[in-house]
Amino acid sequence: MLQQVVNGIIIGSLYALIAVGLTMVYGILRILHIAHAAVFVSGAYLGLLVYTYTQSLILALILAAVGCSIFGWLIQRFLYTPLLTEARIVPLIASVGLFILCEDLFRLLGGPYIRAFKVDLWFDKLIFFDTVVTAHQCLIVIGTAACLVSVYFLINRTKLGLAWQATAQDMDTAKAMGINIKQVINFNFIIASSIAAIAGVLTAINYNSVLPTMGSVPAYKMFAIVVLGGLGSIPGTIAAGLIIGMAETIMSAYFGFIMPRDAIAFSAMILILIFRPQGLFGKGV
Amino acid sequence: MTPILRIEDLSKSFGGVKALKTVSLDVGHNEILGLIGPNGAGKTTLFNCVCGVFPPESGRVLLKNKDITRQPTHRIAHLGIGRTFQIVKPFKNLSLERNILASLCKDRTKGLSPIMFGTGLKKHRQEVLRLLNLVGLEEYIDQTPMTLPLGHQKRMEISRALALHPKLLMLDEPFAGLSQEDITPLLQVIKNLRSEGLSILLIEHNIPYVMELCDRLVVLNFGEVLCEGTCEDVQSDSRVIEAYLGS
Repeated sequence: MLQQVVNGIIIGSLYALIAVGLTMVYGILRILHIAHAAVFVSGAYLGLLVYTYTQSLILALILAAVGCSIFGWLIQRFLYTPLLTEARIVPLIASVGLFILCEDLFRLLGGPYIRAFKVDLWFDKLIFFDTVVTAHQCLIVIGTAACLVSVYFLINRTKLGLAWQATAQDMDTAKAMGINIKQVINFNFIIASSIAAIAGVLTAINYNSVLPTMGSVPAYKMFAIVVLGGLGSIPGTIAAGLIIGMAETIMSAYFGFIMPRDAIAFSAMILILIFRPQGLFGKGV
Repeated sequence: MTPILRIEDLSKSFGGVKALKTVSLDVGHNEILGLIGPNGAGKTTLFNCVCGVFPPESGRVLLKNKDITRQPTHRIAHLGIGRTFQIVKPFKNLSLERNILASLCKDRTKGLSPIMFGTGLKKHRQEVLRLLNLVGLEEYIDQTPMTLPLGHQKRMEISRALALHPKLLMLDEPFAGLSQEDITPLLQVIKNLRSEGLSILLIEHNIPYVMELCDRLVVLNFGEVLCEGTCEDVQSDSRVIEAYLGS
């Protein structure tokens, strides 16, 4: 049982990392950023590329984050900003289109097969009683915690973070109070995309695989998580990521015959939309 | 002496509706100018054009002789126009302290650090306390706006606008919807601000308070300046009575 809890936390942390960026983008621009999953996959590819050449995991994480920040910023600048005045469905469709385009680009550039992402850490696994925590799982927990603490610090302890919060609550008022919205949006995409990159690298290491379609399930599952947590709520998203990760692991370990693993998040989303549309932690729509 | 704010021939339409037709007015130094007129006369539209919420079709807005027409909203705020809203718009989930800090975000020159931690945070808090003290709300610094009565929220908005160190304060119906016990302190706050040298442009429907506060009045009707002058002049002008009551 404890083993399943550990596995659940690992999966949940990865979900939370991917979904945090999505909720940040929604919080500011009210756009459902499907292409975030493409940023996530490009993070995995970039990380693998850097790791293959340098054998340095730190460098792989940093360069993936930098590369994806630029990618995320480009999406914001050249896809979303021109479409902001359109109906909200328009940037959503554009985002889906970009995601499909990117999936095929990854197939062309990376090859239509699974590449291994094998990282050797200085220890192999820790064993508490009969629960095994692999070194990779430790890495994921530490990486996730570091990212989430950094986001918390940035949002709550810096001027730019405060400007971000104000903008998320009321963009027009924020402007009238002298907040430069463009700066806030840039900051938003840079943070969200670098976290997605780190999530991509960590996910790839966890499954020891990088493949062009590794973003397709997260692309839609992270929505279920964001809806569960309450659109735009960062703490809610993190909690929801952990809940879904845990539920999936435990359900498929003990009740695997009821429904396939990936159905759980979406069932949860449907239930939430019926009974509590503002999400578990949302404050109303 | 050049006025703080000069509006020259400002026009704006929405579709076929001409919301503003070549409106001109001046707000002098240390003056409270009242902007009155029936509903739909274009008062809030004028505010929004001045603040850059939407660009005017023609005309100019000058702040201390500097042309600010068509500047982005946040630039205009930096240049020295602070405003409040007809329907209060606090940042609902942030404490009063962080509401006001959000306005101070622009302040890169005054030694307020980009990272708010330790001494940096203490310094910020002192500045916020000073600003809340101006409107008599320092005891509520850690509460969120929605836990406070409307009158307090309106004063909080004034304090948040003052965080911009404005040259001109624009108040959009500050007294609307307030009870008497909220009105008295608000009147005092506005009087104090004027005695400290601030210039104020005020939209208001409550004529007794307008008379008490304003040095001059401008009356808008159907997007045009109907008349302007001292409170007494405007009060006795037959066109104003007609605009409000019909002929």
